[in-house]
Amino acid sequence: MPPPHPPGRHVPSSAITSFIVPSEIEALLAPWLAEPADRAFVARCILAEGPAHHRGTNFVLLRLLGLLAQRHAPTTPLGPTVAVPIRLPPRLAAGHDDADYPLAFPRRVLERLAPPGSPTLDAMVDCVTDGPPQHALANAAMLCLLDALLASAEPPA
Amino acid sequence: MIDPSLTQSFLAAAAELGMCSAAWLLVRELAAEGGAAQVATIRDYLGREFPVLDAVCARYLAGQLAPVVDPAPVVAACADAARVLVVGLEADFLDALVPALDAEVGLLTHSELDVDWDRVLANYGGRVVPCDLASFQRFAGSRGALVTFLYGVRASSAHVNPTWLRVIAGDVRAQFRTLIGWDVLGSEMFVYPRWLVQAPLADFSHVVP
Repeated sequence: MPPPHPPGRHVPSSAITSFIVPSEIEALLAPWLAEPADRAFVARCILAEGPAHHRGTNFVLLRLLGLLAQRHAPTTPLGPTVAVPIRLPPRLAAGHDDADYPLAFPRRVLERLAPPGSPTLDAMVDCVTDGPPQHALANAAMLCLLDALLASAEPPA
Repeated sequence: MIDPSLTQSFLAAAAELGMCSAAWLLVRELAAEGGAAQVATIRDYLGREFPVLDAVCARYLAGQLAPVVDPAPVVAACADAARVLVVGLEADFLDALVPALDAEVGLLTHSELDVDWDRVLANYGGRVVPCDLASFQRFAGSRGALVTFLYGVRASSAHVNPTWLRVIAGDVRAQFRTLIGWDVLGSEMFVYPRWLVQAPLADFSHVVP
């Protein structure tokens, strides 16, 4: 029988939910999502679903990336994007005309790591868009921010 | 003297109109027949069995003569939705909502009560399509909305039709952009709300009074 966790090792869940401010994440998604309702939907999936530690981690990482992005004034045109699929039952997903989340990320950010059209790129896309929406959408939001940051760090052409 | 068959009659009406809509219909008819005294009598007779009827009687006796039906906030919450699926049935509210929506409207044809769904849907002249539990996610998506009716709202919870709990779960919350709870009662219930179940308000993206 394993010993129980030592007292005080984990903070109460309320300590996590108290630092999560959805409006701050909705605000930083604005360059990629014009509709407030879309931003609220994506932020809800990232911050209000799944285990507490994921919600808190998503908030922390996105806020930090958002702070950097604010400093470096991002957002060039996205170019081709990668959609994040909504996890519908497979028999209903086929033929569904609205089966992607409103947040997509620019494909070029992953093309920094793997050649366009390569199996490696496909595998990377599969990894970052798979799993429950609190993961896949947080991945997509981080990739949007990283794309903007990487673009702003490059010298003008 | 109250006809004992009224219990079954009310249940039949509640199945195809919704508890709140059937209650207001009964209260209006009783009030027209025998005034507030008749409403008080039926509340005492049927209120324990039908808590929504009890609450509607209480509101009538407190001076509210008709339900407050304002679909505008629900329509606003459904802005640019392509598909709206209604879970649960409240005819007074659905009748007002459906013509105001610019979207495909579905009604989940599942109930704890005995419902003739063809008869219910015939009221909407093809504007509302049936949808069962096995395929309701056809309405999901970034332009998908779910609507259900709330019966009284507390600080962090409300009572809902049990069918809502057959639909809503972590995966489903992340499949619909908009999750609307529409409070049709406007007050909490005085007696234990049998026929209904409690749901957290956190399940909804919009709680509409």
